Amino acid sequence: MKDKYTLAEIEGYLRKAAQAVGLDWGIAEEAGKSARWLAAFGLPGPELMLAQLQQLEGKDYHNFIPDCRAGQWRAKSACLCPIITGAALADRATAMLEGGVIKLARVAHPLLLAATVGQAAHYHQTVFTTKWAGVSVHCFENGLSVEGNREDLLITEVDSATCRQGQASISLQIPSTLAYAVDTQIWAEIDRLAFRTYAPATAESRAGAGAGMIDND
Amino acid sequence: MTDINSMPEAAQYRRPPEVVMKLARMGSFHQTRLSFMRTLLRRLKKEQWLFKRSLWEIDDDGFGRAVYTVTGPRRSYSLVAFSHDLPDHMRSDRVIATAWDASFTLFDGVPTTADLDRLEQNVPKQEAGRITDSELCLSRANRSVRLWKHVIENLAAGRQPDRALVESVGYLVRTTAVYGSGKFGAADRLTICNRAELSGPFQAEMLSVWLTRAFSIDLVESIARFIGGDKATTIDPDLRRRIGVGNATGLGMAPFLINHPALINNWMVAREEAIARVRSLSEASDEEVKDFKRHLALARFNVAQWHSEHSIQINKLAHLDADLKMMTSYVETESLVDNHPWDRFYRWSEQHLSLEGQEQLVSLMLEPYGALVDDLSQCMDADELQSFFIDGSMSIGQTLDIIQNHCQWAISVDYQQKVNRARFWYISAEKLEPRVGERFEEAGAEYEQPLCIGYFIHQMYQALRDWDPEKTIAEFLLVHPEHRHTTRRVQTLLTHPYSEIRDNVIAADMLPIDLLRCKLSFFGATKFDPRSDRWVRICMYQDAPYPHEMLAIAP
Repeated sequence: MKDKYTLAEIEGYLRKAAQAVGLDWGIAEEAGKSARWLAAFGLPGPELMLAQLQQLEGKDYHNFIPDCRAGQWRAKSACLCPIITGAALADRATAMLEGGVIKLARVAHPLLLAATVGQAAHYHQTVFTTKWAGVSVHCFENGLSVEGNREDLLITEVDSATCRQGQASISLQIPSTLAYAVDTQIWAEIDRLAFRTYAPATAESRAGAGAGMIDND
Repeated sequence: MTDINSMPEAAQYRRPPEVVMKLARMGSFHQTRLSFMRTLLRRLKKEQWLFKRSLWEIDDDGFGRAVYTVTGPRRSYSLVAFSHDLPDHMRSDRVIATAWDASFTLFDGVPTTADLDRLEQNVPKQEAGRITDSELCLSRANRSVRLWKHVIENLAAGRQPDRALVESVGYLVRTTAVYGSGKFGAADRLTICNRAELSGPFQAEMLSVWLTRAFSIDLVESIARFIGGDKATTIDPDLRRRIGVGNATGLGMAPFLINHPALINNWMVAREEAIARVRSLSEASDEEVKDFKRHLALARFNVAQWHSEHSIQINKLAHLDADLKMMTSYVETESLVDNHPWDRFYRWSEQHLSLEGQEQLVSLMLEPYGALVDDLSQCMDADELQSFFIDGSMSIGQTLDIIQNHCQWAISVDYQQKVNRARFWYISAEKLEPRVGERFEEAGAEYEQPLCIGYFIHQMYQALRDWDPEKTIAEFLLVHPEHRHTTRRVQTLLTHPYSEIRDNVIAADMLPIDLLRCKLSFFGATKFDPRSDRWVRICMYQDAPYPHEMLAIAP
């Protein structure tokens, strides 16, 4: 069974879920935006983001820092994290604007990388292309197009991927603002993680925040 | 598109962020011509929107459903209202209440019967229900019990309600939350952001509240007619104008101002540019001076009717009352005709008036100058995604420069002192609402929300100083992801200098009501009545026209 969630809800819940598994606030914000960005194209951003967050739970951030000076980015962990690597990629978008090709070693959930790159494309008003296995995702200022084998979009891990500035494409898909349907159990898990960012009620938290309990005036 | 800088001679009169973005001043703001309620009504009037109460299925006791539709050049929007039988012991203004006298949604278009049936299953439950892409807002309201009964009893008996009581309460119903933009299933902000009529901030919410006001009047008159029969009367139009919509707002609203830096910058810049444009005028016409004096007199009337039970506001009102008297003396003795009259007046106010008075003056100064400033309302939305992006190529040295130039308010604070870190903001698990805790007295600081931007900037500044200034911020963030959020904020300051509240929002003496007052003044609220340091009652649309008075009735 599936339930519909608005893009704002997807962004907010995934941001909190990312924070709950230990990501710092700035990266957690980007995780929320990435999940939202994909959902707006009908792609499973919330689902993939949850899967990635579950992998990160309890792990040390430092094992996932990519070595951005190497010819092929890699980290101490066996597999690059697309959220942490995505942030590093976005921060180095100017290298791609200057014609550079960023090569990544083994990376998890590459579609999440494309989401970060998509936001860089919006900011720089250009096209960035992420390529892995048999698929290329071209991200535009306000849209995307997928070239190749769409089944590869959902790959959980891939041996290598590349990011570079791309070419405009005619088969552009623009984002929808309609609600996105998520499997009830998957959403329950996202909700459970998000809930961990809320403080349990105390006598102090109940007191004084608003009006009295009965307001017959 | 309006250019915020289209009047370059005004630039030198713009008040800098160091002056404006202080909590004490923000907590003294008054509504202006650019407030969102006024922007909405100006558009509806100018574009000759049509109005219709398209459904009235309310029983003799006042329970049931109703629909109010407004139609503009391109689209219609409908307030769908449900009126409920609520026992007195369940009537609470807390956002954590679970039942209300009335509940509402703003529907995108004109609802069918099937839509209404679906909404009737969900809207009365508010947060526990679910709305869809077809709805833009979700809200609820409670009656003002003392005024509600009084008005119905008198109208039923063929008398007008007591004017003094009507004016002292100011509303028949009080909204306790108005949710928009993607909350609880409602349409995403992107759905409406390219529609001219709703692209400005909170226009859908303001429309919803305006129609709620009309519903509240129709409801009391309908109940009075049932009780009094032929003897019953309706409220005199003049007295009816004095009835607005109340609102009780707590901490839930406060984090918004901090979580939307680019948007808040644009609100502030538009308001400050409006003030600067008027101050830059070398002379004022007799007509403009007369108009100013008329609004000054109205402000004096308003303050005489503005009551508060809270010591902070009682004190501020006493100052405002004295300030308005001094302003009246000023305009009687000083010439407002030439020699940059408004700038002179403003500079005088800085020397002689409290912050309440200074901010009242700037609001009043805008009143005669709609043609000069109203277009600035078009500059008050924001592409928040654009300012979200971090420029990783910026050097550490450049980042330090921004902090040193824009953030002395943050780096000069001694956070070793407990009083400067006494509070923390968090979200309560019980109702998912923001709260403020005492860091050194209560549990839960590990759940702190990232609202204390000043403290974060202070920490980042310390960390950055250990780095080679030639290196890029991207390299720094790779090993210091904890400063990523702050980097975003600091970089935003370069293009959005009014994006940060230049004060310490976790200090022991911070007043959350200052944040609420600032935001509510941008809405256009009046009669701020804090009930503690963290929640406030206000009035919306008092003295504004009603839909049927301002708009033609749709066929």
